[in-house]
Amino acid sequence: MTIQLLAFYAAAAVAIVGAMGVVLVPNVVVAGILLLATLLAIAGVFLVVFAEFLALTQVLIYGGAVTIVTLFAIMLTRTGELRVHLDNRQKPLAALVALGAFVLLSAAFLASEIPTRAAATSVATVGSAGGSTGFEYLGEALFTRWAVPFEIASLVLLVALIGAVILTRNGTPRDRA
Amino acid sequence: MNASLAFLAPALPACAFFVIVLFGRWLPRGGAPVAIAATAGAFVVFVITLLGMLSDGASAHSIRWFEVQGQATFTWGTVIDPLSVVMLGLVAFVALLIQVYSWSYMREERRFGWYFAVHSLFAAAMMALVLADNLILMYLAWELVGLGSYLLIGYWWEKRSAAEAAKKAFVTTRIGDVGLLIGIILLFKATGTFSISGVISAVETSQVTQPTLNWSLILIFLGAMGKSAQVPLHVWLPDAMEGPTPVSALIHAATMVAAGVYLVARLFPIFDAGSGILPMIAVVGLLTALVGAAMALVQTDLKRVLAYSTVSHLGFMMLALGAGSVGAAMFHLLAHAFAKAALFLGAGAFTHSTHQTDIRRMTGLLRGMRLTSIAFIASALSLAGIPPLAGFFSKDEILLAILDGHLGVVFLVFALIAVVLSALYTGRLLFVLFSSRPFVPEGDKAARGREGGAKAHAEPTPGESHAVPHEAPLLLLLPILILAVLGAVAGLLAFGWTGSYSGFGAYITLGHDKGFHIEPWLTALAFLLVAVALLQTWRSYISQSDPLRSATAVLAPARRLLERKLYFDTVYQWIVDRVVVTAAQVVGLVDRAVVNDKGIEGQGILVRYAGAAMRYLQTGMVYNYALGLALGAFFVAVVWWILS
Amino acid sequence: MLELVHLQVLSAALFSIGLYGVLARRSAVLVLISIELMLNAVNVNLIGLGAFADRPAESRVFGQILAIFVITISAAELGLAFAIILKLFRSRGSVNTDELNLMKW
Repeated sequence: MTIQLLAFYAAAAVAIVGAMGVVLVPNVVVAGILLLATLLAIAGVFLVVFAEFLALTQVLIYGGAVTIVTLFAIMLTRTGELRVHLDNRQKPLAALVALGAFVLLSAAFLASEIPTRAAATSVATVGSAGGSTGFEYLGEALFTRWAVPFEIASLVLLVALIGAVILTRNGTPRDRA
Repeated sequence: MNASLAFLAPALPACAFFVIVLFGRWLPRGGAPVAIAATAGAFVVFVITLLGMLSDGASAHSIRWFEVQGQATFTWGTVIDPLSVVMLGLVAFVALLIQVYSWSYMREERRFGWYFAVHSLFAAAMMALVLADNLILMYLAWELVGLGSYLLIGYWWEKRSAAEAAKKAFVTTRIGDVGLLIGIILLFKATGTFSISGVISAVETSQVTQPTLNWSLILIFLGAMGKSAQVPLHVWLPDAMEGPTPVSALIHAATMVAAGVYLVARLFPIFDAGSGILPMIAVVGLLTALVGAAMALVQTDLKRVLAYSTVSHLGFMMLALGAGSVGAAMFHLLAHAFAKAALFLGAGAFTHSTHQTDIRRMTGLLRGMRLTSIAFIASALSLAGIPPLAGFFSKDEILLAILDGHLGVVFLVFALIAVVLSALYTGRLLFVLFSSRPFVPEGDKAARGREGGAKAHAEPTPGESHAVPHEAPLLLLLPILILAVLGAVAGLLAFGWTGSYSGFGAYITLGHDKGFHIEPWLTALAFLLVAVALLQTWRSYISQSDPLRSATAVLAPARRLLERKLYFDTVYQWIVDRVVVTAAQVVGLVDRAVVNDKGIEGQGILVRYAGAAMRYLQTGMVYNYALGLALGAFFVAVVWWILS
Repeated sequence: MLELVHLQVLSAALFSIGLYGVLARRSAVLVLISIELMLNAVNVNLIGLGAFADRPAESRVFGQILAIFVITISAAELGLAFAIILKLFRSRGSVNTDELNLMKW
């Protein structure tokens, strides 16, 4: 039982409990806050396997932006019935399907035979023999080999931004003209 | 001199057809000069081919078209032998003269270029037919000939009767064509080849069983019956007179109707090998000769008389084939083609200047149109069998063939009756047509063109019919004279003049038929009968001292029978009205009830019910859909895992 | 010793929980939150594969790169989805999925 494994178990436990809370609690605001906890725990999991950049991104985007936006959305759309009937009628069936999915996925993962290697135990061993860190590798790959998809992704973000703005404007353009 | 160039003969007019159809509107006179030049070129090709054949003998040329591996090889090919070359020359020459004639005759028509385009198409198809070395190519040309005939007969398609006549010609000949196609396929199945020479040699070496051979021959002969207007498929020919007169001269005198005779002549070795086929052909031919001649007796429309006369003569040709003499049939074909083309063109000239189609109303032709009249009379007498004109010899040869052949004396007696009948209708035609006064006998209502005929030029008006007609322009006159002279002197071909040429019959069959000779008693008998018949018509129509006048009343029922075309058309109409329409109604009912209601609408109803049942799956609840999605993915994953 | 399967089972658990949320929740906002959970589950899996798969050094970062794209796209999706939810709320006064059943027979 290494420290790495212990840290993983801790983060995973927080993530799973938080996630269960997100989907089970009858209060929407509590659900939003539990989501924040879950996402931060997942960032911890990333850290455990030395994906520091991803961990940072996770904290920044999910922990910061997404959770805040979610909370805003909750506040903007809250009606009187905050606590009642948060779940719909197919709840038992949904539980069954979710359980089935978990069993199936776990079985598949356990049965899979992907060749693995020992996990990195320190930042220095993440990179190659040359001694460069994960950051360097990531940056180099992202801006050379993955440059075009990267730019396309930024375009998608731009379009989504514009779309969101247009969708949430009051009224139609004709009304204002 | 190369006979392998013969393929150009059909190719040139075919090109002319496409040139005129595509570019005719920018060409002078609608492109008609192109057509005439192409046909003249075809005639030159004929001359080259003839010289080549005279120096090198018969030959065959073919190139491969495509091949069904191990099944059959299809070729484009020409066969050059006396039979095909004579036909080629006939077609090219007559087509050329008739195009020259049409240049003047049709000049006021709106679709002048179209007429020449179709004319070229027809000529190309006909020449391809006579040159074809295999049955598929021949069938192709055969159908194109039918198409050309359809388009030419229906040239004045604005006129309902012309359109109907074209349709009738097409459908009637098609009945035969189906038989021809099935017959060709039967022969192919039995012999494995479409090549005419291949089929003939296979039959001669007895590779084909007798029943198969007989059935395919009967079916092929059905095709010949349709095209050559043999009883009972003759009904289209008189109606086809709705087309322009030059068309009648081309199609219904010299070329298309000769195609059936040519087909039988070309395949004669096979027909010879069949059992009981030749007598059957002879019976059909004899029947056609008699029926055609009898019906020609009562017609009053000039072109219709000629049409029934053509039917009758085609019957004679088939009779000669049935008697086993290709030479006699082809010789009669040749003599008849020239003479009948001259007659049709002459009829066109008469109509042109008198604006009449009723023979009883045309007057003054002898005075006004002396040359045309002489040519017309000479051609008519030739066909009636007056020596020394060509028809005399060819008819004699047919009678001789019956006598020499395996047919009984009954055939000879009936053939002589047919000869008498043709003399009678010829005499009636000539005396009525060329008498100086109009014949408007009892039953005048009928004379106002109940039959229609080639009225397209002008509905006859009383004033015009008595004006003195004037001679046709040179372009009309010249073809008539040339054809009449040829029709008169072609009889010379019958005799063997030089050592290598021992008579037309022997030449054209490559020595199979014996040379022509005269059997004195038969010739004298035939001539005597013809002379008496002509004399009798003279007494009936001109001198008015008719000893048989009392017989008119007795023969009235027969006359009515003939005027009603022996009820052929009535029976066919009844068949179409009752049988065909009833069958069509049954099929239509089945189509509506089963195919449409169950087959087509049933699918729609099924989909509608299925949709009505399954629409309840569409709850409108997003989470239901999401559940479906998850279950689907789950299902796919499980199946994939189990399978892999 | 930490192994790939640990992360994968965590990923499966998060994914299933998210799936349950998507299927069982009424509020569109909560459905979206659940979808975020599922996307994060995928990311965990990707990062795990990147860290543990026996691949050459230079392709080991691909897992992280894919995860970056997933985060990007999910951010875009989230923004649009919340815009739609707001619009929906304004026009219909509710974000409950069982009240939005126009798409039916």
